[in-house]
Amino acid sequence: MLQKRIEAYLSGKIGAESVAVSHLQRIPGGASRETWSFDATWPENGKEVARGFVLRRDPDASLLETERDLEFRVMDAVAGHGVPVPKMYWLESEGAFLDRPFFVMERIDGCETSPTKVLLDPRFFPLRTRLAERFVDILARIHSLDWRARGLDFLGAPADEGACGAMEIEKWEGVVGRDALEPQPVLRAAFRWMRRNLPPPAQRIVLIHADYRTGNFLCDTEGEIRGVLDWEMVHLGDPMEDVAWACIRPWRWLGDENIGGLIEREQFYTQYEEASGFTVIPEAIRFWELLGNVKLAAIFLTGARSFCEGRTRSPMMAFLGRNIARLELEIMDLMEV
Amino acid sequence: MRPTAIESLRAAQAALAELIAPELASAFALDATQTVQMLLESLVSEWDTAAANLSRDNETLGSLLLAAGEALRGAAKSNESLVSIVSEIEQRLREDGATSLVLSDLASRNASLRATLESVLVAFEDLTGRPGSKNIDEARTRIYKHLREVAARGWSFWDVSSFRGRMAAIQSSGGTDDALRAVG
Repeated sequence: MLQKRIEAYLSGKIGAESVAVSHLQRIPGGASRETWSFDATWPENGKEVARGFVLRRDPDASLLETERDLEFRVMDAVAGHGVPVPKMYWLESEGAFLDRPFFVMERIDGCETSPTKVLLDPRFFPLRTRLAERFVDILARIHSLDWRARGLDFLGAPADEGACGAMEIEKWEGVVGRDALEPQPVLRAAFRWMRRNLPPPAQRIVLIHADYRTGNFLCDTEGEIRGVLDWEMVHLGDPMEDVAWACIRPWRWLGDENIGGLIEREQFYTQYEEASGFTVIPEAIRFWELLGNVKLAAIFLTGARSFCEGRTRSPMMAFLGRNIARLELEIMDLMEV
Repeated sequence: MRPTAIESLRAAQAALAELIAPELASAFALDATQTVQMLLESLVSEWDTAAANLSRDNETLGSLLLAAGEALRGAAKSNESLVSIVSEIEQRLREDGATSLVLSDLASRNASLRATLESVLVAFEDLTGRPGSKNIDEARTRIYKHLREVAARGWSFWDVSSFRGRMAAIQSSGGTDDALRAVG
């Protein structure tokens, strides 16, 4: 039973004679890993300590083939440097304790992450401007982090500022090549288009969250972002990549043109420029927005393959694999074909 | 008379929404039922027209490949990879296109035609806009028109959120190739 196994694991980690786990429940979201929430209590110096945890366990099959070690190490490294993230506790890279690798992190209570809640719950309406400001400010902070000083060289920097675009094309073209189950003329043509229309060199090589968007942060009812989540795709690259990813249509949840359902595009650019010191370059954004849509389609192809090969029975994987068409429409718009 | 496939799928959706979901206490299970609802909705949206669409697409793809082959033939003279694409087109068009109306047969034919189209389109991306590429540019434009029409079909969960405005504009324009391009 998972609860008992978590109790045994925590006892060893905390050094407590007994740990009681309660309210263990799997929570939706985070499709690349299983996410479990639970409370734990244990005696410490004659008192009872109670804490909420989140456990992220590798699935049998996933939307993304990512290293949980990488996500853990980066979140741990950026904590306390102006980027709000849950405190990271323990990482297990083997399946000895819970069958599959996992990590345990702090649970941040009293927050929402679902775009439906954040954008459509009336409690958040008056907070939208504040939330947008924080959203932009934190992105700028991620980009201003000294990744060398934080020991993040292991992420592997592009050869130079001009290599960022080609490096990402290579990565995602590889995923499409590996996982596509049927011909993908639009995606293949888009890769060709991108190779002919590489963006200008990055203004500086920075830490890229690579999935920074509405839906991947925890915000409270004061409009404060208290945790940036889902760092699975983190890497080093061009800051415009993150700016453009936040802009892509799939994350404009309200069906209008506002970025992330939060802020007008021009305002987003202006605030980001002020906060980061970088200049938003339209041709770079076009390239990275196109790559973002292709990347999302590639992620869905990975999920679809997992489903079709029987590595998962998740309806989400089947469903997403059937939702690439709208991305193709967006890709063709951006290519202006 | 018996319930149609679509009516049966609707019954499954109703059961999920009205009987099963209210009994669920877990947020994860509720989330899974919502995903299944959307999966069923996507099946409903294409069920009735799937065979007709595939059959028509296969005809269109044949015609697009024919035009692409003619456009490439001129450029292929001194280029081995283009010669090979032209030869692939010829072979594909020689194959018996008169498939049955069984969906998997139609889909299989569609996949082989689209595989060739993929090679063509990648080549076109390298050749477009060059001096003397008029025929290629025209064929390329026709191919993208078709791909846009296919991509705009059916139902996507994004149509009720992110793509809401975009798809409303497409649908109000009649959803034709030209309309798609106009709102693009």
